[in-house]
Amino acid sequence: MAPISIRLDRVSKRFDHTVKGEVYAVREVSLSVAEGELLTLLGPSGCGKSTTLRMIAGFEEPDEGMISIDGRDVTHVLPNQRGIGFMFQNYALFPHLSVFENVAYGLRVQGKPAAEIARAVGEVLELVGLANYERQQPHQLSGGEQQRVALARAVVFQPKVLLFDEPLSNLDAKLRVEMREEIRSLQKRVGITTVYVTHDQEEAMAISDRIAVMERGEVVQDGTAQDLYYRPASEFVARFIGRTNIVPARVLSPTEVEVEGVRIAFSSGLAAGQAVRLVVRPEMIDLHPAAAGSSGVAEITHHTFLGEKTDYQAKLGALSLQATASDHYRKPVLDIGQPVAVRFHAQGIHVLK
Amino acid sequence: MASRGFASEGRRVLRDPVLLGVIVVLWLLLALFVLYPLTVLLVRAFSDEGRLTLEPLLGSLGDAGHRAAFFNSLILAATVGVLGTLLGFLFALTATRTGLGRRWLTLLDAAALLPLVSPPFTTSIAIIFSFGPRGFISHHLLGFDNVSAYGFVSTALAETLTYFPFAYLTLRPIIAAIDPNLEEMAFSLGGSRWRIFRTVTVPLAIPGFANAFLLLFAASLADFATPLILAGNSFPVLPTQAYLQITGMFDFKGGAVLSLMLLVPAAVVYLLQRYWVGRRTYVTVTGKVGQRSRTRAIAPWASAALVVATVMVAVSILYFYALLVFASAVVAFGANNSFTWHHYAVIFTEGVPAIRDTLIIALIGMPLGGLYGVLVGYLIARRRFPGRQAMEIVSMINYALPGTIVGIAYLIAFNDPPIALTGGAMIIVACYVFRYSPTGIRATVALLSQIDRSLEEASSSLGAGSGETFRRVTLPLIAPAFFAGLGVVFIRSMTAISATIFLVSLSWTLITVRILENMTEMALGPAAAFSVFVIVVVFAVVSVLSAILARLRTATAGAAARSLLGG
Ligand SMILES: Nc1ncnc2c1ncn2[C@@H]1O[C@H](COP(=O)(O)OP(=O)(O)OP(=O)(O)O)[C@@H](O)[C@H]1O
Ligand SMILES: [Mg+2]
Repeated sequence: MAPISIRLDRVSKRFDHTVKGEVYAVREVSLSVAEGELLTLLGPSGCGKSTTLRMIAGFEEPDEGMISIDGRDVTHVLPNQRGIGFMFQNYALFPHLSVFENVAYGLRVQGKPAAEIARAVGEVLELVGLANYERQQPHQLSGGEQQRVALARAVVFQPKVLLFDEPLSNLDAKLRVEMREEIRSLQKRVGITTVYVTHDQEEAMAISDRIAVMERGEVVQDGTAQDLYYRPASEFVARFIGRTNIVPARVLSPTEVEVEGVRIAFSSGLAAGQAVRLVVRPEMIDLHPAAAGSSGVAEITHHTFLGEKTDYQAKLGALSLQATASDHYRKPVLDIGQPVAVRFHAQGIHVLK
Repeated sequence: MASRGFASEGRRVLRDPVLLGVIVVLWLLLALFVLYPLTVLLVRAFSDEGRLTLEPLLGSLGDAGHRAAFFNSLILAATVGVLGTLLGFLFALTATRTGLGRRWLTLLDAAALLPLVSPPFTTSIAIIFSFGPRGFISHHLLGFDNVSAYGFVSTALAETLTYFPFAYLTLRPIIAAIDPNLEEMAFSLGGSRWRIFRTVTVPLAIPGFANAFLLLFAASLADFATPLILAGNSFPVLPTQAYLQITGMFDFKGGAVLSLMLLVPAAVVYLLQRYWVGRRTYVTVTGKVGQRSRTRAIAPWASAALVVATVMVAVSILYFYALLVFASAVVAFGANNSFTWHHYAVIFTEGVPAIRDTLIIALIGMPLGGLYGVLVGYLIARRRFPGRQAMEIVSMINYALPGTIVGIAYLIAFNDPPIALTGGAMIIVACYVFRYSPTGIRATVALLSQIDRSLEEASSSLGAGSGETFRRVTLPLIAPAFFAGLGVVFIRSMTAISATIFLVSLSWTLITVRILENMTEMALGPAAAFSVFVIVVVFAVVSVLSAILARLRTATAGAAARSLLGG
């Protein structure tokens, strides 16, 4: 494991709210990011992602806790002395400076000689694919180009750490995918420690080494995309990452559970008689035509054919289940009202604590 | 808890030496040039031989002359407030609702804006030339002899014509923003035009009326120059009484007490305007302007009447200025109307010291005022530090107070050790900077509210400290406010008198003070020539600044340019 680059230790930040008084925007968050790693902070709007990131950058000061970068305590260090590159949602390009001067800004501040600045700026603009844009003004650029200039500006002075606050949210869907791949490949090439904020789970899964999910100011789970998808720590995480069924079940024995009359061979190791909730992803449910009336038979209430897959909703007793099938090139799509037998794939199922 | 925020804000500032230094220096300056003189004035008014007492104030209230001055001031201010608001409304309606051509609008604007850039006695001189004993209108056109141009009526008239542009500038955007479609809609629902005007247009403009009235009330209350020339002995008002008390009788305490009587209504009006009405003047911008038919909500005959009335007023104002130019170039207005350059020769020989002093003071005050304005504006809009709100309030005090009070306070505070500054140019510069930079402060705050904070954060993440960020990013972006603020300081340095008349000396004098001296010596020719000179210089500087603002091309430069005149 690479050495730790960024460490947050029980960091909290409160703000004054006009109605609610003082509220926690971030509460006792502890995180660590290894050198060269890309960690994403993921969560719904208002959960404290930006505030956490801004504390790492030094734009906000924590009320409690400690932040260190490369072993140095920076909790109370001003942003300009932290050596971080920051990408803003609105790009924050200096409107009165050309592309060249925007990118050169950090180097000028450091008092680098003109020749070195010209070389470094040229190289980094090349890197982001804007070789001949030096003389343009920011308002003459498209959103994607502005984005690249902001990226170039943030990396040109070789910061120890890169921070991104929803950098792609102003771009259209196609460009968003393109840019996130570019950011990821650049980050890997330069090998720079990165914290990336987004509320888009697909973006988070595509770009990250590791994801920290936040809810109401706290980090509720921290792991790889697969950890979060297959082993969510809470209903919140399960629902936030991908689509899911949360299914109430009864433990029949340590190796068997029962859902609405359907028995599933599943070794939970739990004592018989306990009530539990299972996380079952739609692709872990198979539906087959069956005779009506028998126990464990559901009824299709909804279907959406999407080409590569079909999304179903089926009513099993009191439960409404979401299921997905991706093999309709070889069997017919099920009709609404059709009775179906439900089969759960036990390998994928996860018990909520 | 507030104390926690206070402590962490404080800690943060302490770690930023540039920021800390700037805040400390600004507070020292504000303490010295705003708080200290005001405190000395209050102490002087409330003390008698070292003990605090209300006696001087009560004595003053017992004095029938002072009471009369107090009520005269209020009556005059209320009259000017009402008349000026009506006149401003007339201009605003005509400009926005009658479909007047561009040329005519330019004429209206010229007539409305001239008084704002003129030295203080311009309208008074023109009124004397028109309605005095040998006045163009009273004597030559109407044939009266020995009419008096002095008293309440002429003072109210002169002040109304001088200050109504405030009402025009306040009301015009509000009326323009009342969506004509709203009036249209009411019209299509069958309301009569008069009814719509009464029930839709006027109510929507009511906060604007209140705002305009209070602005005019404050301006008239503080006006010193017009009553000094026109009010005469029969109609004493507070600023002139305070002035006479000090310059005529060397009674500093009496002057202090009188200015205190002026302070109370001025403070009330200022607070009302800023915190009550000012906040209510919303403008409803619908954004969808499209095809607006401007005139339908106003009947054609009414529209014609509006235009005629407005153009008449505008023409009379322009006539006043024409008279001024004429008077500056004839031997003796009314008695000998043959052309001469003599008055200009006088001002460019005997008048040179005043011109030189005024220009030196204005040119020193200009950059200082511009910089002070953007620094304070930046700090209060962008930085969190203990005492930020206090700084915002204190920085507005000298601007909100009538000039007479500020002048007397400076005179009393800086006349004797420990801080003896009167007699020098420094004190006059300081007076202008702290009195007229609030326009720059407000323009800066307004501009910064449109510039995202992330620009400054980006700069600091790229390694720039607070001073460097200010210089490289913030300052270029708020340049329009800088130029607007500096322009206002220059214009007022050329035209103001009410505060600085107390601060001039044998070695440093001002054009405006020379105009006053000329007027009291009945040397009206040189007074007119001086006034024309000031108007030409101010006009030239405003043109240059407007050109600079136009070249800055930012979206906000237009607003900044407007505050040049409104300030
Ligand atoms: N400067 C501030 N003053 C007061 N409250 C604030 C401030 N900044 C953030 N907050 C509050 O703190 C909470 C967290 O805000 P934050 O911006 O970190 O959320 P976020 O997760 O980035 O949300 P989004 O996805 O919408 O950007 C919110 O409730 C917000 O209202
Ligand atoms: Mg955010």
